[in-house]
Amino acid sequence: MFKYILESAGNINWMAIASLLTFMAVFIISAVMAFRSQPAFIDRMANLPLEEPNPLNAENDRHE
Amino acid sequence: MAQVEQFRYDNAIVRKFAYATMVFGAVGILVGLLAALQLVFPALNFSTAETTFGRIRPLHTNAAIFAFVGNGIFMGVYYSLQRLLKTNMYSKFLNEFHFWGWQAIILAAAITLPLGITSSHEYAELEWPIDLAIAAVWVAFGVNMFGTILKRRENHLYVAIWFYIATWVTVTVLHIGNNLELPVSMWKSYPVFAGVQDALIQWWYGHNAVAFFLTTPYLGLMYYFLPKAANRPVYSYRLSIIHFWALIFIYIWAGPHHLLYTSLPDWAQSLGTVFSIMLIAPSWGGMLNGLLTLRGAWDRVRQDPILKFMVVAVTAYGMATFEGPMLSIKSVNAISHFTDWTIGHVHIGTLGWNGFLTFGVLYWLIPQLFRTKLYSQKLANAHFWIGTLGILFYAIPLYWAGWTQSLMWKQFTADGFLQYGNFLETVTQIIPMYALRALGGTLYVAGYFVMLYNLYKTIKAGSFQAYEEAEAPARVATAGAHKGEHWHRWIERRPVQLLIGSTIAILIGGMVEIFPMVMIGDQVPTIESVKPYTALELQGRDLYIREGCISCHTQMVRPFRSETERYGEYSKSGEFIYDRPFLWGSKRTGPDLHRLGNKYPDSWHYNHMLDPTSMSPGSIMPVYPWLIEDDLDNSLLPAKIMALRTLGTPYAEGYEEEAIADAQRQADEIAARLRKDGIDGEGLEQKEIIALIAYLQRLGTDIKPAPQAGN
Repeated sequence: MFKYILESAGNINWMAIASLLTFMAVFIISAVMAFRSQPAFIDRMANLPLEEPNPLNAENDRHE
Repeated sequence: MAQVEQFRYDNAIVRKFAYATMVFGAVGILVGLLAALQLVFPALNFSTAETTFGRIRPLHTNAAIFAFVGNGIFMGVYYSLQRLLKTNMYSKFLNEFHFWGWQAIILAAAITLPLGITSSHEYAELEWPIDLAIAAVWVAFGVNMFGTILKRRENHLYVAIWFYIATWVTVTVLHIGNNLELPVSMWKSYPVFAGVQDALIQWWYGHNAVAFFLTTPYLGLMYYFLPKAANRPVYSYRLSIIHFWALIFIYIWAGPHHLLYTSLPDWAQSLGTVFSIMLIAPSWGGMLNGLLTLRGAWDRVRQDPILKFMVVAVTAYGMATFEGPMLSIKSVNAISHFTDWTIGHVHIGTLGWNGFLTFGVLYWLIPQLFRTKLYSQKLANAHFWIGTLGILFYAIPLYWAGWTQSLMWKQFTADGFLQYGNFLETVTQIIPMYALRALGGTLYVAGYFVMLYNLYKTIKAGSFQAYEEAEAPARVATAGAHKGEHWHRWIERRPVQLLIGSTIAILIGGMVEIFPMVMIGDQVPTIESVKPYTALELQGRDLYIREGCISCHTQMVRPFRSETERYGEYSKSGEFIYDRPFLWGSKRTGPDLHRLGNKYPDSWHYNHMLDPTSMSPGSIMPVYPWLIEDDLDNSLLPAKIMALRTLGTPYAEGYEEEAIADAQRQADEIAARLRKDGIDGEGLEQKEIIALIAYLQRLGTDIKPAPQAGN
């Protein structure tokens, strides 16, 4: 199916192939970067927005 | 242990942008509703130049994108940036300059667009002095953002800030690239590139205005405000890293999918298609990351209107980013392009993704800023349901309208003739759908005003604290001496590295696609019979631009039998080499005009512009009486000729001195033909309509066989 989509997209030339390969490189590098990070660091980063307390307690800031 | 420092978050600037978001959201959607109603009730064009659809439509798009979403971005960035970096903003002066500068630009747009001052590049319509002002304000924003990053107390940059950085650098590149123009006067310029090159650069910009103004900054907001509202961390921080790099790298390539089956070379179209399809992966990665953040909290989604808005926003993002790649497949695009399907698709993104995420953020942020409870959760829930219904009533009829119209355009009889040879039949068929769309817009507007009331009451009940006390350890002390300086310096350089990395990622796609088009001459085969416009035609063309005819009419006959049967020979890239700007358009509410020249007599055009229903009963096109009443202003004509010659149009040396006389000669000929057909009037030769007729009669005739005027 993917082959059909590519074929119906027109002439797939070397530029498209080179572009795909460039993207694969970007994707693989970013994936390696992401998965090589220490779990503790990832956890700390994920919780960064929550470090700052809300001026209002989220549970009490709405009524009704 | 690092020393704990006291500082204050600047909430005053956040409040300013929040108010501006609320005000301009109302303006943007009300103007949009007017445009939607004009398609159902043409009388709502009010027979006035400034309120006609062609000028109202860019006002709506600019208000929605740059005034509403723009202020929404800045509201979210100024709030989250300070807290994620544990510092206040870099410069109060830059805060104020950014805020008031941006509002002044919006004011300038609100004045110039209705006046017909436009470059006609979609979403980049503003003329060059305003472009310069945008650049100045954008640079101020960048300096303020990077200044804040550099003085941060938090060593690491949360992923939301990566999205802000990528947004800033890409919008900078896009804004410069698509606004390379040569001024003729204070309010008129011509783009440096012409025809197919201009088209490629415009849609490289246009698509990425969606990508890097409506999407990446809002993804940054999603990564900050969704965890805040849900009170839980993002589902996968690792996924967000891959999401970021893959998204910004791929997005920039996808622009040519706006130009499938046009005169753009096939290789560029193919690249646009391939990368658009690939875009599903990072987009859905981001969407799933957002939705899965709510894992285990779905019970709260049922209760909390803020989370409801955010869930629908992220879902709309997912829908739009699935649909977009599908529309980029050539066989689907052959059906969808130039129809209302595109408009429906865009509004899933803007009403659903941008609108609902903004509403969720506002409902969360305003009580925080004013240290009070939201006035009414019931009203917020009511807004949610009215708004959701509004989106459905908006989009579904437009999908239906798009499919219906496209199928009608392509329908042949058993004998091989177009079944709906009169384009107007395909328009009147879908007017009920336009009415339903206007109903959807009305619901959305109604919900919006419910929100404004709710937020107003919340603000009244609360007490605003312009500067919020905070404390955090100083960053400098966290660099352990035993770790050595290298690590510390690397961290300090990291925002700069991110900036450079993002810039490289977004430049690759643009350069691969644009450089060959611009640098290699044979990408645009020239046609010997294609000549520059005459002085009068050029004036007429600028009137066509001023009136925003491009909002409803394309000038691009695609190589389909259904189009060559209806319009004539398909469009060739060599026909557009003197078109500054290109006017291919992106929507056919009316028929394509590229082969309009010599199709009708001059008098037909005269009467049609005066009252379209006189020539085409049932037409929803506005009336243009001012073209018949107003004299043509030729004062800029010599300067226009010189500017175009500078850009490469081969006008003979000295032609600028004869241009006005030459224009008058051609006007006299057209006026004489009109008089022969019984149309008279004082000073007919001087009127704007004459120039417009000259242009319309020239369209597509350079490669057209012998004139058929009068047939």
